[in-house]
Amino acid sequence: MRKMAAVLLASTAAVLCGCHAYQRGEVSQPVPRPSAVLDFATLYGQNCAACHGPDGANGPATDLANPEYLALVDDAGLRKWIGSGMPGTQMPAFAKSSGGMLTDAQVNAIIAGMRKRWSRPGALEGAQPPPYAQTQTGDAKRGTQTYQARCAICHKQTRDEITNPVYLALVSDQVLRTMIIAGSPDIGQPDWRHDSVDGKPATPLTDQDINDIIAYLDGLRNASPGFAGTAAEPQSGAPAR
Amino acid sequence: MDLTNDEHRLTQNQDAPTPTGIPPLNELARHATSGEDDRVVSRRWLLMKAGIALNGLVGLALAVPVVRYIFAPWRKDSSYESWISLGAVKSFPAGETRLALFKNPFTRSWDGPTDNVACYVRREEADKFQVFAINCAHLGCPVRWFPQSQLFMCPCHGGVYYADGSRASGPPTRGLFTYDWKVVSNELHIDAGQMPTLSNSAKLEKPEIGEGDCTCRG
Amino acid sequence: MPRVNGTGQRIYAWFERRLQLEGPVKEAALHPVPRNTASWWYVFGSAAFTLLFLQIITGILLALIYVPSAAHAWDSLNVLNHQVPLGWYIRALHGWGSNFMVAIVLIHMAQVFLFGAYKFPRELTWILGVFLLLMTLGMAFTGQVLRFDQDAYWGLGIGASIMGRVPFIGGGLVHLLLGGPIIAGATLSRFFTLHVFVIPGLLLLFALTHVWMVLKLGVNEWPMPGRVVRRATYVEEYNKLAHEDGIPFVPGAFWKDLVFSGAVIAAVAVCALIMGPFGPGGQPDPSIIQTVPKPDFFFLWIYAVLSYLPPALETPFILIAPIIGIAILLALPFYAAEGEKSWHRRPVAVLVVSFVAVAWGSFTQLGTVTPWSPHMSAWSADAIPAKFLRGASPLVRQGANVFQDKQCRNCHAVGGLGGQRGPALDDIATRMTPDELRFKVVTGGGNMPAFGKNLSPAEIEALVAFLDTLHPPNQRPAVNPVNEVYTSTHASGGEDIPAAQGAPR
Repeated sequence: MRKMAAVLLASTAAVLCGCHAYQRGEVSQPVPRPSAVLDFATLYGQNCAACHGPDGANGPATDLANPEYLALVDDAGLRKWIGSGMPGTQMPAFAKSSGGMLTDAQVNAIIAGMRKRWSRPGALEGAQPPPYAQTQTGDAKRGTQTYQARCAICHKQTRDEITNPVYLALVSDQVLRTMIIAGSPDIGQPDWRHDSVDGKPATPLTDQDINDIIAYLDGLRNASPGFAGTAAEPQSGAPAR
Repeated sequence: MDLTNDEHRLTQNQDAPTPTGIPPLNELARHATSGEDDRVVSRRWLLMKAGIALNGLVGLALAVPVVRYIFAPWRKDSSYESWISLGAVKSFPAGETRLALFKNPFTRSWDGPTDNVACYVRREEADKFQVFAINCAHLGCPVRWFPQSQLFMCPCHGGVYYADGSRASGPPTRGLFTYDWKVVSNELHIDAGQMPTLSNSAKLEKPEIGEGDCTCRG
Repeated sequence: MPRVNGTGQRIYAWFERRLQLEGPVKEAALHPVPRNTASWWYVFGSAAFTLLFLQIITGILLALIYVPSAAHAWDSLNVLNHQVPLGWYIRALHGWGSNFMVAIVLIHMAQVFLFGAYKFPRELTWILGVFLLLMTLGMAFTGQVLRFDQDAYWGLGIGASIMGRVPFIGGGLVHLLLGGPIIAGATLSRFFTLHVFVIPGLLLLFALTHVWMVLKLGVNEWPMPGRVVRRATYVEEYNKLAHEDGIPFVPGAFWKDLVFSGAVIAAVAVCALIMGPFGPGGQPDPSIIQTVPKPDFFFLWIYAVLSYLPPALETPFILIAPIIGIAILLALPFYAAEGEKSWHRRPVAVLVVSFVAVAWGSFTQLGTVTPWSPHMSAWSADAIPAKFLRGASPLVRQGANVFQDKQCRNCHAVGGLGGQRGPALDDIATRMTPDELRFKVVTGGGNMPAFGKNLSPAEIEALVAFLDTLHPPNQRPAVNPVNEVYTSTHASGGEDIPAAQGAPR
């Protein structure tokens, strides 16, 4: 008898403890349709956080919490990349019109939320950043020299190597350009005005410089990266073909 | 007789007459059956058997429409299916797989959102399509298309299919169910109407579409 | 007849003269039961019976608002949850009452099995009990359907798919189950009919018969080792026991039933108050494919079993196993109508109950975690832990992007997040060399799809470069000792680690 009573007490206690894990019984909202969710935190957390990091930074993909990046790119640009993906990169298309799951309103909510959370007014005030989109082609030869002079200081070690054709096959010219102009604070990539991780001011890179560097890097791409092209030997500093 | 004995036992519980002097009702019933001769009883039994037989006949007659009513949904697959448009062909880009929605052709006004049926349209080439049912061939859960890895994945038990609908991994024993399709005046039509299971075809057997790919047999 | 004095008693007498219930009620209440059956082990049946009435009452209350129409059921549930004052609480009572009822019925069944209560002359009581269990489970399943949300919708889909596996008549059975070609209005209507009319009617009838037999045959005595049941002598022995060492059922044993039933109802009320109603989840619109259907708690074990069965065994198992299981339960009292009742002398019975309980618990636990299900949004939601990207080369970072973008994460966890269908990859580099990784990604195998056609060579190389960094800092990645020289490219900070022993340099 006594054992039974103890079992009863214990089970009641267990039930009561289990109950504590929950807040309260009354529920507040019906479950919305997935297409009706417009909350930025939910949308970002479900669709973007995996590659861009839970707080817009420290993910393997572009640092979105970078105010300079947000100042550089306009809403139409973001809408295009989110909606229909970024060709030549791993950025997929999220808009329903491109086979994704998000409505236009949800894409806009993500853009508005990014700006609200991570934009800093006047991030590029007074500065004259090169245009976001490339307007003219560069010269690969000049680019080699600019690269050696301005980039190779850091990008000579294997862990910083960006001349690997496999890497270059997975990023588009636009990604390289954005990275050079706006930098990427989460990995210590300086913007076009600065020289090093510590952000020492330097002679800003011109639009021409950037076009040249990209032309040089583009020249390193080959038709079949991978397999043969992935040897472990360092390729940084290898001259353009 | 057993019956009267039982009755007698049942009424034993009732004590003496109630204050008003009315005997209990079953006491009255006992009086009614007492003192009858066997012939009368056997005639009554015969009549009762006739009554039972009459009720049996009526019940049998009624059972026919009842059973017919209950089994009304049990029909040939083809009687539920009909050709239905998924919209303009140009809304399906070549080389891509897209989710398409249609209203189930067999529907009732109180079906609400349940008659919105989803399917996947894969446009391999300009004039070559594959239309997959949303239901996993394992237990019918909704598979989701991932264009990045070119796979269909099922959230229930982890069935995975390649872009052409063939089984990639997991518990399904076959590829995705497919619908018959045809293009009529630049619109893609499919022959649909019922939830596909291993017994209910999404489509009739049509070898030229499957290209000998046995995983897509209907 | 009671003495008549006072208005209350006169009214009582008026009714009693017409109803004549006092005799049978007194007989039932005061019949002697063996003294040691007045135990806390004997309270589960009456608690299940009490819960049945709680379910009937709350069910009727819900039916005042609920609309059994596919177009409106979900809306009416949300109205109950959000607009009708305390509608959520009635729903919560009904939902928690259902869970408690299934649990108590299962405990009751295990108890009477261990106490040998199914033996002569209580075989029919047990058989009715088996049907009562099936009907209780039937109520739980049909009730889950009436909570007409996405889980209900796809749960019906699973039911239809199981029906579709029946040979020859499967197609027709699917139509019969769904009331038409698809899960729609007709389907909900027929499950409403089952849940509200057919099963409760039978359940009540069976439950009353079950109780009737308990009263008529007497409650099963406390089993003693060595007290063997024999058809010829049992009834006499039992009557002797009940009369010589017995107490009247009321109040001797009944007070414990009352207390336990009250406690169970109170527990239901508290759970309902604190944890609230179950669902409804998302709208039952099959065009919403962002859904992860899952059955209710008491069906999770089936969900788990269905994912672990080898495909070839699946159909036979699904169709035959339930029939065999029910047949065994029904045949049990005929196979073992006589003999020992005590669990001390029935090791097989104790083993069976333990085995079933452990198996059920394990499968339910697995069904809660669903390690076999891909996490459909892991690829876009679960971030890569920062430690794996600290100091990563640009190539490795692109590899991480490939890893996410190609939905590897849906089946492979990293840092505890992601699917569990495949192995977690936190230290994959210590187990596989880059060559092995490349081969596995391209060709798949062992329940992994082949990604060779879906990844470009550059994507594969970047992915392998990323995977090769997944190892604990104090453990170096695996290398092929025959033809691979350990180089610093394989690990950040790899130069601190000496080359593998015996590897040619």
